[in-house]
Amino acid sequence: MKDLVEYIAKSIVNAPDAVKVTEEQDEQGIILKLQVADEDKGRVIGKQGRIAEAMRTLIRVKAAKKGTKATLEIL
Amino acid sequence: MDVLEVNAKTTHEAIEKALAEMGVSRDEVRITILNEGKSGGIFGIGAEDARVRVERLMAEPVPSSDVAVVATETLQKLLTLLEVEGVVSPAVYPDESSEQPTAPVAFNIEGDDLGILIGRRGQTLAALQYVLRLIVGHKTETWVPIIVDAEGYKERRHEALKALALRMADHVKTRGSPFTLEPMPPYERRIVHLALADNPAVYTESIGEGESRKVVIRPKHPSSGPRGNSISNDQRSTVSNQWGNSLGQRSNTPGQWGNTQSQRGNYSRPRRQPPNY
Repeated sequence: MKDLVEYIAKSIVNAPDAVKVTEEQDEQGIILKLQVADEDKGRVIGKQGRIAEAMRTLIRVKAAKKGTKATLEIL
Repeated sequence: MDVLEVNAKTTHEAIEKALAEMGVSRDEVRITILNEGKSGGIFGIGAEDARVRVERLMAEPVPSSDVAVVATETLQKLLTLLEVEGVVSPAVYPDESSEQPTAPVAFNIEGDDLGILIGRRGQTLAALQYVLRLIVGHKTETWVPIIVDAEGYKERRHEALKALALRMADHVKTRGSPFTLEPMPPYERRIVHLALADNPAVYTESIGEGESRKVVIRPKHPSSGPRGNSISNDQRSTVSNQWGNSLGQRSNTPGQWGNTQSQRGNYSRPRRQPPNY
């Protein structure tokens, strides 16, 4: 799960080295936490959260294949 | 002749002159105004000619093929990460409008069980396409439209929507009353708008906001419908209100159809040309 978010985030920010993704598991499913450089926040959230929403949609596909749920938080 | 600098009294004249000399139309060139020009004082003292540079824009086959390579690689990578097995192949996307200067880079993904990749109403496919555009845009620093299809879903949808649009236009024409389609994403609304753009009997517009934005097909001549006279008068006033009120005045006559939402949609956006997708 982590690698997908990491790949997308690193490909769209200006400071890929500052991208960190952590993965946690609770009874609801997987929680992915994405951290980027401050100036790149807009690049992973997007206008009206459109980019974040697109990433969530893709994560859901992968989670559904594994029979679980996943959420994405941007820190 | 690819670059030309021209002097004339006004920038407008200079541009016209340059275009005529180069034998090109305005969309094929980039225009830089080097000097706005001045009309000068009495007797034209201190007047300056306007000066413009007109450059012919090259069709850019090189960058666009670069984009295709980067896009293919990126899409394959994304599919691997999504753990979706599919074969990516180039495709030609059917699009009647050739307004776009650069042809879209289109892909079709073939594989078993791609329903999950398409998602409800093609939502997942749209997300995948959006992310792909972002990544490719960031990597190549250009913007080329990229279209991602899976198992020909969009193509089928395109045909189905066109057929639906034509059928409903017929319906609207014979009934003389508008018909509202179900909410659709922007590119699907666009297909409907384009399918009916040249239709003599109806016109289309989009109402509502965001997810619930939908296309309304309306008759061009409401009074020609088989309805009674009083109704068609009302219709006519509704229509003229819509057309005349693009400045945002609230009309005194409430529309015969159209709730407040559609009214809002109507006067915040002037109707058609270019259509609101």
